Amino acid sequence: MTTAVTPAETTVAVGAPPATTAAWRRLLRSPAGLIGTVLVALILIGAICAIAGLTPYDPVAQHPRDALQGPSGRYWLGTDQFGRDIFSRTLAGIGNSLRVSVVAVALSGVVGTLAGVCAGYFGNKVRGPVLAVTNVLFAFPPLLLALTLATTLTRNWATIALAIGIVYVPIFVRVTRGPVLSLRETDFIRAARVVGLPTRRILARHILPNISAIVTVQVTLSLSWAVLTEASLSFLGLGSPPPAPSLGSMVFDAKVFASTAWWTLAAPGVAIVIFVVGLNLLGDGLRDALDPRNGRNS
Amino acid sequence: MKLRTALSSPVSRCLAVVAAAGLLASACSSGSNSNSSSGAGGGTLVVGYTADPNTLDPWRATQFQAAHMLEQVYGTLTQLDTNMNVQPGLAASWQYSDDNKTLTLHLRQGVKFQDGQAFSSADVKSSLDRLRDPATAAVAASYIASVQSVDAPDANTAVLHLSTPDAGLLAGLATVNLAMLSKDNTEQQVSQKPNGTGPFSYTTRAPNQSVSLKANPDYWGGKPKVAALQFRIIPDESSVVSAMQSGNVNFAVLNDPTVAKTAQGSGLTLNKTPDLAYHALQLNSRKAPLNNLNVRLAMQCAISRQQVIDTAALGEGTPIGPITSPAFKSDPNSQPCATQDVAKAKTLLSQAGFPNGLTINTIVSTGLYATSVNEAQNLQSQLKAVGITLKLQTLDSAAYVDAWKAGNFTAALALNGGSPDPDGMYGRYFTSTGNLNKVAGYSSPQLDQLFAQGKSTTDPAQRKQIYTQISNNLVDNAAWIWLFSSYDYTAMTKSVSGFTPMPNGSLINLWKTSLG
Amino acid sequence: MRRFARHSLTRRLVEAVLTLFGVAVLVFAMLRAIPGDQITATLGTESAALSPDQLASLRDYYGLDKPLPVQFFSWLGDIFTGNLGYSQRAGESVLAMTESALPITIELAILATIVGLVIGVPLAMLSASRPNGARDGVSQVIGLLALSIPNFLIAATLLTLISKYAHYNPNAGEFQHLFANPGVNLQQMMFPALVLGFGLAAPIMRTARTSLLEVSTADFMRTARGKGVAPMRLRVRHLLHNALNPIITMTGIQFGYLLGGAIVVEQIFSVPGIGQQVLVGMQQKDYAVVQSTVLVIATLFVLVNLLTDFLYRVVDPRVRAS
Repeated sequence: MTTAVTPAETTVAVGAPPATTAAWRRLLRSPAGLIGTVLVALILIGAICAIAGLTPYDPVAQHPRDALQGPSGRYWLGTDQFGRDIFSRTLAGIGNSLRVSVVAVALSGVVGTLAGVCAGYFGNKVRGPVLAVTNVLFAFPPLLLALTLATTLTRNWATIALAIGIVYVPIFVRVTRGPVLSLRETDFIRAARVVGLPTRRILARHILPNISAIVTVQVTLSLSWAVLTEASLSFLGLGSPPPAPSLGSMVFDAKVFASTAWWTLAAPGVAIVIFVVGLNLLGDGLRDALDPRNGRNS
Repeated sequence: MKLRTALSSPVSRCLAVVAAAGLLASACSSGSNSNSSSGAGGGTLVVGYTADPNTLDPWRATQFQAAHMLEQVYGTLTQLDTNMNVQPGLAASWQYSDDNKTLTLHLRQGVKFQDGQAFSSADVKSSLDRLRDPATAAVAASYIASVQSVDAPDANTAVLHLSTPDAGLLAGLATVNLAMLSKDNTEQQVSQKPNGTGPFSYTTRAPNQSVSLKANPDYWGGKPKVAALQFRIIPDESSVVSAMQSGNVNFAVLNDPTVAKTAQGSGLTLNKTPDLAYHALQLNSRKAPLNNLNVRLAMQCAISRQQVIDTAALGEGTPIGPITSPAFKSDPNSQPCATQDVAKAKTLLSQAGFPNGLTINTIVSTGLYATSVNEAQNLQSQLKAVGITLKLQTLDSAAYVDAWKAGNFTAALALNGGSPDPDGMYGRYFTSTGNLNKVAGYSSPQLDQLFAQGKSTTDPAQRKQIYTQISNNLVDNAAWIWLFSSYDYTAMTKSVSGFTPMPNGSLINLWKTSLG
Repeated sequence: MRRFARHSLTRRLVEAVLTLFGVAVLVFAMLRAIPGDQITATLGTESAALSPDQLASLRDYYGLDKPLPVQFFSWLGDIFTGNLGYSQRAGESVLAMTESALPITIELAILATIVGLVIGVPLAMLSASRPNGARDGVSQVIGLLALSIPNFLIAATLLTLISKYAHYNPNAGEFQHLFANPGVNLQQMMFPALVLGFGLAAPIMRTARTSLLEVSTADFMRTARGKGVAPMRLRVRHLLHNALNPIITMTGIQFGYLLGGAIVVEQIFSVPGIGQQVLVGMQQKDYAVVQSTVLVIATLFVLVNLLTDFLYRVVDPRVRAS
């Protein structure tokens, strides 16, 4: 995805600890936030059903006699060439894509944020190397980087997540470093330093909570990119391995049936779009809700 | 993406295939750029290719696209007809000595290389000598391993001295991997500008875009029916079909049965030819638990070959036994559990000491051929019914090849090239000294003996009997599980006529194909 | 102040060179870590049948027999003399291949950026003219879809539809270069540029909207409005001009990514650009091609970023002054 690796244009103001309940209320009051929350909730419910085994069929069970049937009362969204139930597979695919994306973003979020905080808070000795690595990763074409990493490692969902995670580390470094740099010069952090609070405590108690809003928004948006990147990798034949379905590999497999059995493509395609739209709306909603200026307005 | 032919084999023997997804094909001239030329034929035949030929060196061209493009440019000593019988090529005739250890080739006269030089026995000697030199790293060197020396008593005669009688030699010489090069050309030269005796000569290439050839009016077989050939790279097989629908590409070989089916419904002419290449689940009988015969037989009994074909290839294929060479074809029904027998499979598993089932790691390639992952998923589902868990390890083509060639797997799903001669097909796998025996994972003294007999016997009826024994020995021991062979699909626009497909996937008849 | 500016420029340049060195190390190392090499890629499973002597001869032919540091530094050394290496597979130098492929991708990136700006900026102005109104809603939905539909899905669907129903498929023909045959070239670039541009429109539109909203509430806008500047002129001359910076930055970043990010779209539409060159190089383990091409892409990316930075200073007097 070409648009994948840009930092969110976050306008979250630095220095105002979020008031969680109020933020939630604001989130659900905005149309974007509400729709986003609902869509993401739907996706989550689907994923939980799949993980709990509550799908109409076993997503990998084959019924060769019922291959390539259209949607019906028996198979709600039709079957694929092995006679597997597409509805069940789509739910399982959502679960798998979610797992890959969550792990990828958790990885890049934790590593990237820590690196960004250190680069912002500590001097040149830390900043130099961190920024150098970040620059290199940024200059490497992202899809190519993910592709190469995915090829290098044994292929399973965790290594795909690792590959995608590494690609997104630099974004978290970029979005967190600036705010930390300015926080560091604020009066209350200076005061904390003067008082002699240990650095670890300053970071944990004062710096991290203050950038949590930025990170939250970035996490939401990165999740949507991770879903798209996983799909792109699958499209190039390097996604999650079979038979466990992922949304990307389902689209890849269905591509040749696009004109003869449209339902095989429709279900995973629509699921990807709902998934990504939901995450984007939620991200927008969160950004507005966590922006103190908006708080004043409403 | 589809990169290369599957297993390998040098092309002729095999043929195989596959390009994975690829398509290959040849095409016909297209409406868009037909520069009609003078002479017997006109127009440019545009062939849709899913991958750029990865070498211009015929002696190392195992990739489907490279080999079939180079077949147009180079000539071989012998050729195969559509039934895979040996026919004269650059050697117009030949005779064996009484002990079958000397082969005298009478060369076709008046043949010229495309650079104008005359073809003579000196080129044959030079080519065969270089091919046998390990430094050349010719992929088909093993086909002529029985050749000890080559003489050129006069310009039109070449004499091959053999260490042992070799019944498969003449069929082997038909591969483009043993093409005749001019004695004046180094390999480095031909890898930049091919110079052969074939029906088309090389003109230009734009990497990742196209390779262009033009008709060779001096071709010994006659003047090609089209003025030029262009192999155009369109990376996605479905896009090739789109390109044919819009008339920009006229000819393509399709490998993905699902894509071929869409092509059929859209006004293109589609021929399907049974392919010599075979899909198999290779078992490594030297590794537990597959060193247990009953486990292997249980797997054979648990699998319905037809179901694999129906699901993974949408019904496009036929169940097979080991040998696919037309004259030696195995009967697919002469094997233990010719039809699926789940109860027997379970019994065999209990006898083997695995009443509760077992797990088998299987390597599967992505990108080598279109149906690999589908076959793996169906086999997994079928074996699950008897308690065998097929643990799939999906590898990209390079990682797969690495594991495959090291014999580093318990089971491997593969598409291997077939060959017109069964010795060329399996001698290297199932004899204890074969160069692919490590990959085959199985050999026995009986097989060694049978293969040796088959190679030195020249009577066709006797040979057929020997190879039937070999085939039965392989399936009785479930050395591997042979699944099915698929089709090569040749798609053409309506303006193309005269192309004859070959069971080995070869496009050698393109020069007889005309446009419009 | 001037000295500071020069100092910062020098620092950026040093940073850029270090970054490119890092990219060189990374791409070199990753290629060696991937299973397989050019021998297995070229011969496929047939490479299993090579005898040790044959293998040694091939390793020599592909230059794989030299120690890794020697391979690395001889490659890097060659780069400085303008030699990007030679592709045995393509039978051509990487420089010549790049000279053919790179202009194609740059053209595609420029066209896609134009499409992105043409869709994104007006949408943003429409959207920002009355925040939360109906027009804003529609614009935002379009932007959201552009952001959420994977480009390979749009590309594959578009290609199937146009060739099946309209029997129109310019990309199936032989690729024509812009200067050789502009008419055909532009038709071949149209669909890929539209697909990429549509995806690009989303971030541009969102950035522009935010920026426009911020500027429109700024003091000088209020003053201009008070002075009675005509609304159209107000929008274009004052608003857009002042909101330009973030838009330029975003466009620059996106343009940089397009150079290496058009792989999937190039693949689907058979555009023989730099993305395909790397992808095929990767599949064929053509080390010279992948290494040098990635380095070229990274260099362009770094240059575009420097240029964006420079433009930013030119357009925004505040940055220039500080």
